[in-house]
Amino acid sequence: MRAENVSQKPKFWILHTLLIVLAFFMLVPFAWMILTSFKSLGESVHVPVIVFPKSIHWDNYIDVLYTMPFLTFYFNTIAITALKVLGTLIFSSLAAYAFARIEFPGRNVLFVILISVLMVPGQIYILPLFLIMRDFGWLNTLQAVAVPGMFDAFGVFLLRQFFLSLMKELEESAKLDGCNHLQIYWRIMLPLAKPGLIALTIFTVLASWNELLWPMIVNSSPAKMTLAVGLSWLQGRHGTNYPVLMAGSLMALWPMVLLFLTLQKHFIEGIAMTGTK
Amino acid sequence: MKAIAGRSRIKKENWLWGYSMIAPAMLGIGFFFIWPMIQTFYFSMTRWGDFGTYKFAGFDNYHRLFADHDVWKAVLNTFRYVVLAVPLSVAISILVAVMLNQKIKGLSLYRTLFFLPVITMPAAVAMVWKWLYNSDYGLLNHMLNEFSIQGSRWLTDPQLAPYSIVVVMIWSSIGFNMVILLAGLQGISKTYYEAARIDGAGVMAQFLRITLPGLTPTVFFVFIISLIGTLQVFDLIWMMVGNPSIVKFSTQSVVYLFYDAAFLTNEKGYAASIAVLIFVLVMVMTIIQMVFQKKWVHYE
Amino acid sequence: MRKLLFALLALCLTAGLAACSGSSKNGSSKVTLTYAIWDQNYQPAIEQAIRKFEDSHPNIKVKIELTPWSQYWTKLDTGATGGELPDVFWMNQINYVKYAANGIIMPLNDQMEAGQIDASIYPDGVLDYYTNEGKHYGLPFEMSSIGLFYNKKLFDAANLPYPDETWDWDDVRKAAEKLTDPANGVWGIASTMSTEANYYNTIYQNNGFIISEDKKTSGLDRPEAIEGIQFWVDFIAKKQSPSAAQMSETSSEKLFESGKIAMLYDGSWIVKEFADIDYTKENVDVTVLPKGKVSANIVAATAMSLNAKTKHPQEAWELLRYMASREAALIYSSTGSFITAVNGTQEGWVKSVPFFNLQAFIDSATKFPKPFPTSKDTMKWFTLEEEYMLKAWSQEMSVDEMAKQLAQKVNELLAQE
Repeated sequence: MRAENVSQKPKFWILHTLLIVLAFFMLVPFAWMILTSFKSLGESVHVPVIVFPKSIHWDNYIDVLYTMPFLTFYFNTIAITALKVLGTLIFSSLAAYAFARIEFPGRNVLFVILISVLMVPGQIYILPLFLIMRDFGWLNTLQAVAVPGMFDAFGVFLLRQFFLSLMKELEESAKLDGCNHLQIYWRIMLPLAKPGLIALTIFTVLASWNELLWPMIVNSSPAKMTLAVGLSWLQGRHGTNYPVLMAGSLMALWPMVLLFLTLQKHFIEGIAMTGTK
Repeated sequence: MKAIAGRSRIKKENWLWGYSMIAPAMLGIGFFFIWPMIQTFYFSMTRWGDFGTYKFAGFDNYHRLFADHDVWKAVLNTFRYVVLAVPLSVAISILVAVMLNQKIKGLSLYRTLFFLPVITMPAAVAMVWKWLYNSDYGLLNHMLNEFSIQGSRWLTDPQLAPYSIVVVMIWSSIGFNMVILLAGLQGISKTYYEAARIDGAGVMAQFLRITLPGLTPTVFFVFIISLIGTLQVFDLIWMMVGNPSIVKFSTQSVVYLFYDAAFLTNEKGYAASIAVLIFVLVMVMTIIQMVFQKKWVHYE
Repeated sequence: MRKLLFALLALCLTAGLAACSGSSKNGSSKVTLTYAIWDQNYQPAIEQAIRKFEDSHPNIKVKIELTPWSQYWTKLDTGATGGELPDVFWMNQINYVKYAANGIIMPLNDQMEAGQIDASIYPDGVLDYYTNEGKHYGLPFEMSSIGLFYNKKLFDAANLPYPDETWDWDDVRKAAEKLTDPANGVWGIASTMSTEANYYNTIYQNNGFIISEDKKTSGLDRPEAIEGIQFWVDFIAKKQSPSAAQMSETSSEKLFESGKIAMLYDGSWIVKEFADIDYTKENVDVTVLPKGKVSANIVAATAMSLNAKTKHPQEAWELLRYMASREAALIYSSTGSFITAVNGTQEGWVKSVPFFNLQAFIDSATKFPKPFPTSKDTMKWFTLEEEYMLKAWSQEMSVDEMAKQLAQKVNELLAQE
């Protein structure tokens, strides 16, 4: 979109002003988190509110590392997220290709069933799913959190949309060359689907990173906990130490900010090819 | 004859490919999600004692559900959230997405800022907004006082609290919608704009004649996703309003009721019947959207 | 071919994962026990005691499982449903009857009769907190009681003497009136809508009760109880306490920590927080609760219970026995983390915050303790009670009317138990 010419300059000032005002409101909670993470406990609970701490309390960050095995939580979260991404990418893309390109009886019915999974609040699965995990002997393991997350109805839905938007000509010619469906999927569709796969990766990572209830229910030993669960330790029975909680949240958050900053172009490109059909 | 037989063989082969390619995902989803869902349907017809003991109870839970005043109030509350939050959020998101779909300085910074609420811990979000809304010491009333406007009890006035919550819902969903809408904008062919500019169409006319119609499929997608998300709203209300609260009755959503029944008072059978109600609501709303989409969504 | 490859890959992935869960289970001949707790602040004290226990029991290894309070009971409930519970875990009074009645936790009567439990080391009656139908279901290790916290600075400014053990309800009422200073945003007292810290105490001080001995009827609609509740609601009506709405936005503790409230009934659990905050550290002290017709103080005790289906009943009992012993209590006490439940070991806690008169909590707990009222399904009526109390607290309904309606509903629930 190189539509902008000199005559539109004043409009750009309006645009920037509007954006800055809006962005400011988006930024408030984030700034608040940073400020709170440097306050003393007394400053954080004071009324009327104290906005800027008198002196900077770095101890809150040290407290986070001191009160919990934060590095283990990092490792667990990354391992679980990696497994979920891997599974989601492989299984969803396979199924999405079939739903988009292959005709077989019951296709629509199966797809509707799949979509219905998206519409149910997660709390509904928890009890039956917990019983399944127990029967597997998977309680207190990383795979108890990761494996159900490897099968993602949203991923199938998203990538199906993506494959639908791709042109059919390429695969028609591949078919004439005698390629079977798996070969078409692997050699032609997957490389083309890269932006879609990146989009799905980010969605999966985001959902996995902040997930709270399920990991908490299936994993109770600190050695298998994730960041979100670990941070919830800081919410006590009688009051919460907000400065330490905020320091911990920020330490858990920065990888996500970095991920979005670096991948956002690909992310948007990826969804660009899925959401429109 | 031979050709037909060949075609049907290819057809059969295709079926086989189709089934085997969807098999891993479908089996996994079936096992980990659909099977528990079916169990939930069954549980909705049971009465639970302590620790997973339950008895078949027929339609007792549903009788109670239909007579429960709290349930219908919660359904109304949830609809109010949907009717207010979804269209407003989508409208603002369109505006933001259009603004951020141009070559301007600090583009990726802006986009990241708008996306921040999506990746921030919900506990932090709730804490900040509670402070902003605090009627005695909050920033909002403080600023209103500066302009000699009488502040309000944003979160403790039963009339007002649902709207205060809607604002936070919108605020926290803009980032997600924006990203998807940005993607939609990039899918609109540039040649349309060039043609329009040659015709001398202004920015507004371009927006109305090209951007908006071209964007409708994406807007539809965002609508559906927001609708499902809003119908399932829970955490935000739970953390901002708390339990017990004066405004609980006027703010609680259906999933809130579900949570209370399942985990607070341990009526898991009743909770399951509420879950079924949520399922039906989401289904109905989605089908309505699907039917109406033909009237306003333009596919190329 | 590729399809097969993928199928294999998927299979390996799941098989590989399953394998790694299997291997982690094969330990050595050492017995590993899990010990579940909900309070992060107490963890260092617990860890010290466990290390001592492991030293004297080299064949046992203990793993601590910390689950925050907000999720602890959901998790324990799910675990009990699935038959996956820790070997020894913390228990509270609200929940134990439910766990006991369903055979989830083990009665300790055999051990009691074998003389392995020395009942005399606990304050009178505290062991009974966890006794149902003649069976003991837990050994207490931690207690909490309630005190009257007051802001010395505000008392000085109003020229009032500090509250002490001679105070009664009327003294509180008079002081609240004098201390209230709307111009400076100061309230005389906070009517927190809290059972344990507030109105249960005043109900008992007025010779009322919450649930009858036989757990069949609610006492909330009796005149004694109504007066005990009215005591608090009156402060709100007279604007000597923040309103229910105000306190739901800014907790009474936060207001107290910022010098907006002169008197606050609160539990011993809040001491650490007040000691950490400079303002309260300098300006606050605490004393025993003022008396009504009688002195009474809600004393809660946290106990440890034994999983009835533990694979290692002998080792788990050894652990529980040690963690509830006098020796362990002295270890907890040396960290000053909480009030220990063993007589004569509380000095460590009292000295942990020398600038507050913490002895007041110990005196209350030992001289006139009242247990937190419970029945088999306490959570159900407790939730209902909160809902109804709020109507009186927000002055939507008179205390009389609310109590009448509430008691009727609670009686219905009790009848179902």
